[in-house]
Amino acid sequence: MFWRIVWRLLYASKARLAVAFLAISSGATVCAALLNLQMDAEQKLTREFRALGTNVVVSAPRGAEASEARLLDAGIVDRIKAIHNRYSTTVVPFLYITARTHKLAATNPMAMNAASEQDAPREPGTLVILSGTHLNDLEKIAPAWKMVRADSGDLQTQSPCLLGIKAAEQLAAKLGDALQLDFADRKQLCSVTTIVSSGGAEDNQMFLELPVVQRLAGLAERISLVQISVPGTPEEIQDYTGRLAQAIPLAEVRPVRALAEAEGRLFQKIQGLILATVILILVLTTLCVLATMAALAVERRHDVGLMKALGGSIRRIMRLFLFEAGVLGFTGGVLGCFLGIALSEWIGQRVFGVELSPRFAVVPITLGLMIAVSIAGAFPLRLLSHVSPVEIFRGEA
Amino acid sequence: MSALVQTENLVKQFGNLRALDGLSLTVQAGEWIAIMGPSGSGKTTLINILGGLDAPTSGRVMVDGSDVASLREAELVRYRAERIGFVFQQFHLIPYLTALENVMLAQYFHSVTNEAEATAALVRVGLADRLEHLPSQLSGGEQQRVAIARALINQPRIVLADEPTGNLDEANEEIVIGLFRDLHAAGNTILMVTHDAGIARQADRRIELEHGRLAQIPVSNSKGEQQRFSHLR
Repeated sequence: MFWRIVWRLLYASKARLAVAFLAISSGATVCAALLNLQMDAEQKLTREFRALGTNVVVSAPRGAEASEARLLDAGIVDRIKAIHNRYSTTVVPFLYITARTHKLAATNPMAMNAASEQDAPREPGTLVILSGTHLNDLEKIAPAWKMVRADSGDLQTQSPCLLGIKAAEQLAAKLGDALQLDFADRKQLCSVTTIVSSGGAEDNQMFLELPVVQRLAGLAERISLVQISVPGTPEEIQDYTGRLAQAIPLAEVRPVRALAEAEGRLFQKIQGLILATVILILVLTTLCVLATMAALAVERRHDVGLMKALGGSIRRIMRLFLFEAGVLGFTGGVLGCFLGIALSEWIGQRVFGVELSPRFAVVPITLGLMIAVSIAGAFPLRLLSHVSPVEIFRGEA
Repeated sequence: MSALVQTENLVKQFGNLRALDGLSLTVQAGEWIAIMGPSGSGKTTLINILGGLDAPTSGRVMVDGSDVASLREAELVRYRAERIGFVFQQFHLIPYLTALENVMLAQYFHSVTNEAEATAALVRVGLADRLEHLPSQLSGGEQQRVAIARALINQPRIVLADEPTGNLDEANEEIVIGLFRDLHAAGNTILMVTHDAGIARQADRRIELEHGRLAQIPVSNSKGEQQRFSHLR
């Protein structure tokens, strides 16, 4: 009988309740969409931050004084790669030296490789920071860099180099130019295959393959530091950094603080924004339900008076109304959940250009919120508990 | 016979108006009492107080051994559900419940619902073919019969009827009064407010109120029972 009455109550006031249902399902749609976005944002942002490149750096301890002591053994790269992480990490070693650099007259890479001693310039050359690394991995840890490449013919050179845009200006070098690098009594020829624009200190550097720089510097199997791109939340990165520090105690492991903090701040801002919007939506939905229920309460004064006269306790009568509101919240919530998840997928594709996965934890959360909103919105019906049957029958109330 | 209802010096004041002014009355179990009097004489107020819908300003109301005036809200709820059956002039059915559901609603508030019993109650009042009809689909007489079935479904100790035929045509009035006659014959106690002397004559006795007091000595409609009312003389 209980559900029979609840159903009759719903059916009898279908016009008014349709307004509340619309408000609840709309509120649920937006809430579900935002919650789904919020839950999926962590994973999406993790991927996005990965695109920002290096977020952990491993170097020699800061206290080390001798220049040799400030270098690491290249074998550390394999030890780092052996440390398990939830996501795949990119590990790239670097060796930095400063070398005098000359631009050569010959620009044909094949001719340059055969350049003779008499072709070598007589002037002292320009000091440039040489960065020896794995050139193929450079884009993985620095995906935001802008790289302008030479034609494919020029890339056949045995010693390609990537030249920072400011260094290129300093040397008056362009794509395809041949450069001579002098370090102590050793020389190295290379061809500019790419001009790099990073917007940072790398614009003043030149990038070559790690073995080339190691040979030029006479530092075989030595590196200056290792840059690591670790995907994950700030907590996951922190955890990885801790494990890394334990595994290689003789090296200094430090997160790239600005990036980690930016990631954390962005997470907080997004979560705060979503939470504030969800709260606002809930308040607006409650107000809408409240207005509908207030009108309904006026209509039901007589019914409540009669039910009390028939021996209905206010607890049993209110239970009917609260379940009616609960059913409204549940059904509106279910509809809103499906629409909201669909909406979040649409937003994901249109706004972020990514495929968002439905997070089914959104469903119980949204349903719970909507049932709570409906019951809170049914507050005016609770005021009917004060209705006096005799006043209703006398027409005084 | 034992007194089922007893009021002593009952007063109900609405501001400066005394709706009941020291009314004392006794009703025996199984009696059919017709309460008459002009508008504003306190008839409905008396019914409301006896039914636990309203509280007296002063005086004592004993119904079936309970001092109604002293009952707390929760006790009044049980009192109304278990001991009283109301029949109103305006029928007061829930408009969105069917005839059957209106009867079952009283069961629901009393204890548990029993659809078969509710159906039988409606069959008894001649509404076997109107079970699933909404009040708006029923005539006035049919609605009042639903109200009577609802009033009786929990087998109350007293049926309080406030002008039950006031909104009915002659044919339906006869049907409804016939039902009350059957109720009375089955031993139910009935207190009925009416303006119709013809209906009042069918009751065991009439009491007439005026300005909240007994206007005249109650008249017994059955010879040989005059002595029952001697205490009111």
